[in-house]
Amino acid sequence: MSSAPAGDRAAALASGPQMLATGVLVIRWALVVWIGVLSLSGAPNLPPVPLRVGVLLLAVALTAAHTARRPAWSPPWLLADLAVGLAVAVTGIRYPSFASVFPAMTVLHWGAARGMGAGLIAGGVIGTALISARLWTGLLPDATGLGLMVRTAADAVNLVLAGAGIGFVATLLRRSAADLADAQAAEVAARERAARLTERESLGRQIHDSVLQVLTLVNKRGRELAAQQQVPGPEVARLADLAAAQERTLRSLILRPPDELHGDDRMTSLRTALESASQQFASDLDVQVTAVGESLLPAQHVQQLRAAVEQALHNVVQHAAARHAWVFVDDDDTGVTVTIRDDGRGFVYDEPRLRADGKYGLLRSIVGRVADLGGTARVDTAPGRGTELELRVPRGAGDHDNSARQEEP
Amino acid sequence: MSEPARRTAAPVRVLVVDDHPMWRDGVRADLEADGRSRVVGEAADAKEAVAAALRERPDLVLIDLNMPGLPGTTAIRQISEALPETRLLVLSASAAEPDVLEAVKAGASGYLLKSATGAELTDAVQQVARGEPVFSASLAALVLGEFRRVAAGGDEGEQQLTDRETEVLKLVARGYAYKEIADRLVISIRTVQNHVQSILRKLQLNGRYELMRYAIHRGLDREED
Repeated sequence: MSSAPAGDRAAALASGPQMLATGVLVIRWALVVWIGVLSLSGAPNLPPVPLRVGVLLLAVALTAAHTARRPAWSPPWLLADLAVGLAVAVTGIRYPSFASVFPAMTVLHWGAARGMGAGLIAGGVIGTALISARLWTGLLPDATGLGLMVRTAADAVNLVLAGAGIGFVATLLRRSAADLADAQAAEVAARERAARLTERESLGRQIHDSVLQVLTLVNKRGRELAAQQQVPGPEVARLADLAAAQERTLRSLILRPPDELHGDDRMTSLRTALESASQQFASDLDVQVTAVGESLLPAQHVQQLRAAVEQALHNVVQHAAARHAWVFVDDDDTGVTVTIRDDGRGFVYDEPRLRADGKYGLLRSIVGRVADLGGTARVDTAPGRGTELELRVPRGAGDHDNSARQEEP
Repeated sequence: MSEPARRTAAPVRVLVVDDHPMWRDGVRADLEADGRSRVVGEAADAKEAVAAALRERPDLVLIDLNMPGLPGTTAIRQISEALPETRLLVLSASAAEPDVLEAVKAGASGYLLKSATGAELTDAVQQVARGEPVFSASLAALVLGEFRRVAAGGDEGEQQLTDRETEVLKLVARGYAYKEIADRLVISIRTVQNHVQSILRKLQLNGRYELMRYAIHRGLDREED
């Protein structure tokens, strides 16, 4: 699996420079044709036929060699190119319009193959050789001589610039290809991460289907064994507790929402959030979450409601002396209603008195959270009858409330 | 809750369907220890379950939904159509599975979590065998959600809940026992049970209606070809 991104990277790295190599070869063949046309044409100031034929043959041979090795650049052939380029430039110094073609090919090829530095070197070497050869052939002390010198110098400068230019392009291409490859590698990594998460979820389901069932069975049978007289009850019960703890851990693992995947503006499942929230009370209270559906709400709302339910359940654990609690999520077209009910001792719901006793704080905090979402809370309790706390949040109202609040400084 | 074996009627004949042999053994042990029911067959997948049901004609099929091969729901539908007298009770690892709702729509009389104790299991078997649905809080919530969707769909061919039935369902979903619901609504337990039965009947009628509508739709499509 790890070779796939590496392969992608190599492919991305190769594609830019590969196009450049193809381009350079196309130019080379065009120039070879041009040398051929020049050789056959009756153009003025051409070298003798053997030199023409020799240069043409060498150009064909070397270009063919490069073409055969494409898209790789082989140093021996590049060196051969430079040697021939130098020889042609020097021997053909008297015939610049014919002899300047081959060195141009050499310099282009060096730049494309090895980057800006190589282009500069090849251009510099041949340019220097050109100027040296011109000086060697002797400067005529007249206007023609000066003109020839200027022309040779211009040729030399052109060669250096061409080499540097194409070399720069090659370097740039290689670098952006590397960037592109990195970006692709990052994308592949992200895709793999998503795939792993999906895998984890399906793993969770599998655990749920098989291991959890067995754990549940062990838990159940263990407890029944513990109830019998002839077996060491406490030990079996401890075993059962162990299994029950495993079961809870697995459940929470499966039910934990993948928070890292969702931004705050995403819709998330209230049911999943409350199932996950109820897990933390499992050691003190048997909490059952029931829901008519997923109840997808903005993540912020889900977070607020989850916090409110957590506080309510915390309150049940602290004060209600309850064994069971039920969290019911009802959802119709008008809004979402969360009911937290316990079978505990209940209390006399007298708001002023609760305030006076300093016992209203938690309730206020819950009511506040629901009010933030534009909702209402209602308490239904009496001594000996348990407590039912109903949180009602209208659909969409919370959004208005939030935007209104954002407008205030 | 365990009722004394005062009923001298023949034990409930049960078919146990689950792909885990260990689980089947556990259920068999529970049912045999209880004495009010007798395991007349076992099956490890949906296909075997249908075959065994047609062969044994049990009073009750105790069936898991997560099995290899055909979905458990398919077996439930086929058994409830072929043997209307046979009751079906789903044993499920999780309360929140949408499969559970589908299973009940297909003809199951209720479902029980696999974490239920032996006593809860044997009581549920007796209850379902008597023709009373076993509606847990989470199933009630799912059923309520289903009727909300039906109401929003506005299809006149589908059954809607009365206000009283909705009220009962909401109370079951909040974990209230039938006795507590009866007290709260000042009605008899029998009336609560009737409401629950009526809810289940409507749910299964809607399930059948949906299947029929789907079949007609498919049939019409085929005629157009």
